[in-house]
Amino acid sequence: MQQLTQILGSFLLLLLSIPAIAQDNCTLELSGYVLDAHNEKPLPNSKVHIRELDITVSANADGFYEITGLCPGEYLVFCKHIGCDAIKDTVLITQSTQLNFYPEHHLDIDEVKVAADKEADFSQKPEHMTERELNESRGLSLGEGLAKLNGVGKLSTGNNIVKPVIHGMHSNRILILNNGVRQEGQQWGNEHAPEIDPFIAGDLAVIKGANSVRYGPDAIAGVILVNPKELKKTPGVAGELNLVGFSNGRQGNVSATLDGNLSKLPALRWRAQGSLKRGGNVQAPDYFLKNTGVFEYNFSGAVGWFKPKYGVDIFYSQFNTQVGVFSAAHIGNLTDLQAAFEADRPLEEADFTYEIGRPRQEIEHELFKAQGYWLTGEKGKLTFRYARQFNRRKEIDKHVPLNDSLAALNLPALRFNLTTHTGEIAWNHNRTRNFKGIIGVSVIHQGNTYQGRFFIPNFRKIGGGLFWIEQWKPKDSKLALEAGARFDYIYQRIYMWVNDEIFSPERNFMNGSGSLGASYRINKKMTARVNAGSAWRPPSVAELYSDGLHHGAAGIERGDASLVTEKALNFTASLEYKSDKLNFLIDGYYNIIDDFIYLRPTLETELTIKGAYPLFEYTQADAHLRGTDITVNYLPSENWSFTTKASILRAWNFSQNDYLIWMPSDRFENSLEYRFKDSNKLANAFVSISVVSVLKQKRAPENSDFAAPPEGYTLLNASAGMDIPVKNQFITVGISANNILNVRYRDYMNRFRYFTDEMGTNISLRVKVPFTLLQAKSIHE
Amino acid sequence: MMKMKTQVKVAAVLGLALVAGLSSCKKDDDLVPTPQPTINEGEVITTMTLTFVDDAGVQPNVTATFRDPDGDGGLAPDIFDDIVLQNGTVYNCSITLSNETVTPIEDITAEVLEEDDEHFFCFSPSGADVTIARTDSDGTFEVGLESQWTVGAAGSGTTTVTLKHQPGVKDGTCAPGETDVEVTFNTIVQ
Repeated sequence: MQQLTQILGSFLLLLLSIPAIAQDNCTLELSGYVLDAHNEKPLPNSKVHIRELDITVSANADGFYEITGLCPGEYLVFCKHIGCDAIKDTVLITQSTQLNFYPEHHLDIDEVKVAADKEADFSQKPEHMTERELNESRGLSLGEGLAKLNGVGKLSTGNNIVKPVIHGMHSNRILILNNGVRQEGQQWGNEHAPEIDPFIAGDLAVIKGANSVRYGPDAIAGVILVNPKELKKTPGVAGELNLVGFSNGRQGNVSATLDGNLSKLPALRWRAQGSLKRGGNVQAPDYFLKNTGVFEYNFSGAVGWFKPKYGVDIFYSQFNTQVGVFSAAHIGNLTDLQAAFEADRPLEEADFTYEIGRPRQEIEHELFKAQGYWLTGEKGKLTFRYARQFNRRKEIDKHVPLNDSLAALNLPALRFNLTTHTGEIAWNHNRTRNFKGIIGVSVIHQGNTYQGRFFIPNFRKIGGGLFWIEQWKPKDSKLALEAGARFDYIYQRIYMWVNDEIFSPERNFMNGSGSLGASYRINKKMTARVNAGSAWRPPSVAELYSDGLHHGAAGIERGDASLVTEKALNFTASLEYKSDKLNFLIDGYYNIIDDFIYLRPTLETELTIKGAYPLFEYTQADAHLRGTDITVNYLPSENWSFTTKASILRAWNFSQNDYLIWMPSDRFENSLEYRFKDSNKLANAFVSISVVSVLKQKRAPENSDFAAPPEGYTLLNASAGMDIPVKNQFITVGISANNILNVRYRDYMNRFRYFTDEMGTNISLRVKVPFTLLQAKSIHE
Repeated sequence: MMKMKTQVKVAAVLGLALVAGLSSCKKDDDLVPTPQPTINEGEVITTMTLTFVDDAGVQPNVTATFRDPDGDGGLAPDIFDDIVLQNGTVYNCSITLSNETVTPIEDITAEVLEEDDEHFFCFSPSGADVTIARTDSDGTFEVGLESQWTVGAAGSGTTTVTLKHQPGVKDGTCAPGETDVEVTFNTIVQ
């Protein structure tokens, strides 16, 4: 044992002495600037340290530093500024090298902003959630949290099942990239929420508009990016603990993250993360909603090996949830629906309980990912990514089978198992002759099986795509242009029983898509962007073959096997203005969609032993969706901030010459905020109130719904938060109150609006505690 | 030299993690190799029959059936009788339910009877001169598998027969619960 320790010890000693191999031409130099990550202002007196040589220099007033007399070799370089995390970088020096550092203040650790600057030239700039918005979304579901972004709405089925909506579109028209991987769950269903733990995200962003070229089919309305923070670059072990409590539903969340980086093996970085969520029946202003609890446990781990020239990392995550589905919304037939709608209160009521009964959904999603990069000389970077996802969905009916032996099996009425393999290889080339770009290939293989009641058939899907995007931007040019093209092929085969025989037709889809865009920096404060993109998606298996009774919706849904590919042409334009006193972002969009697939009420009923059911059929229409999202932020003084947001959509069905069904109505939000001056005891403290107004959806086709769209509503929300310095860290505390006036309201985009009011007042309290377990002693201040 | 070793070590660690990652998860299910969709594990009621027996034993027995042999959706019902009763007669009516999607045909009536405290039949005549009263009980509330139909003057209308599933919420009224069966029969009093 002792021997082993000795061997290990000497091994580690040797490890430390690797890079500084003495050579003759020790005349190289390392120099650069240390600049604030957010405003690029110089950070004088920052320390730059080379571990192998034990050299430390200070940056001058301009933030400039210089280390001379270096021999070629690989060095571990640290940069440290007071109040900032140390930055660590492994640098390979073969010639004199310039290296800039961008330390970030603890106050607003916001890796996002650095990235955002790089995105400024894109014609479709991702909209990131701010650190505060992210904090305030802690404990909410992904769909609920994303709705904080202007122009992102939600399609809900009760309070726990929330899907994001962009420009009136959702489900198969939005692509979610979880960790860079195309999320493949059962996203075709309106009551199938994204299977992602939002606590994983260190950054949540939305790219509105068609984005098929880079990300593949389905990205008709936009792309949602869920990215974890980068793995820890500085030595040590640190973590973060999040505690969230909600008054409504008495929901509690705990999440913890541990990040590590060995000072002896700085290229090795790791993370372990987990979260727990438990909530009970939620309360509308006048009553509890029976069976609306949720229980969720999620965990993930990552380990990576990063060198300047290459890097690999592996990620694994598991998402497990049990969601109660509001009992009174599970109804027998149209008469029940009518009764439910006419009733003042839900016909089934309950008291508070954490217990989740029937009906409910049990969902499990597992993601395994391996990815890497390899620098191809000066020219570019090769990245590859493989991911495997398992999605298991169980839907447990309200009814226990009458037959005792069947009931004893306690089987879910419906089970789906979806397995997906995806892969991508892409080569990013750096700017050469004003061009930079990416070229790549992606593949997908997917299989779905079901057990229980028939709703959609088993299927297999194989697809591949080739894409190429280039951006043209001369140095110092105000104008940047981009163009991209993509070609995809998808093979799909379904398997179902028809008259005791397997019916298994095959389908092939092939399509190209393209995009053209420009961004123009009018002046330092204002940037204009325009983009035209095409996108497409094959009809989903559900749209082709679903046939069955949907209890929650009291309808018979029928697919149409003759549906063809949906094609979209999407135009976006935006104007962004940023200054000290005024900021605004105005987005406009126009979507021309041919063969838009939607569920059309046939206005016919189908007779069953349970009574008559309305019949809904998947059908296609030519549709136009256009609208605008506007955010204006005015700061009359350092302390006050006033923000107004508007989101407006008009959608027209040309085939029916009527409005498109199920489109969000106009939404407005005004908020006023007071920011306190930072002091030694308090930072980033604020209080804000906001008023959200959602208008009645008057632009819905008549006689297409069981009940007219509900009235508009206005809600009053408030929140406050602060960072409290404790030792070297900041503890972030926040409190929010939604629907303070306990208003009774129903929302057109909630499928349970026939049955119940929305949630009443909900007060939440959040605490975020960062902590350091092991501090590397590499820098001496 | 040592650097090589480190890399080998790291490669080994990452390799192990990869293997662990791949193997620790659930078995990699085969992607739809031999599809075996099951037809219907659940349970459906396809058939409801009402059998009327004259309390006085004078009039002949009457039956009325609703049958949708492939369950909800799909094909339309193949049997949908009218209820034809004689005026001035008191009938005892019993209801049977069955599932004809399986062989042998499953008797649902017995299962309803077994859980009679969760089930409740409602009868709503309209137009026809019929008065209906449930005659059985779960011990607390009536059930309706057995009922008495008092038929008045000749005429015609409809009668809606509804079976409500009311686990834990049965209160002797039709309001709570989920509808299992709802059939509106044309009703003719001769």
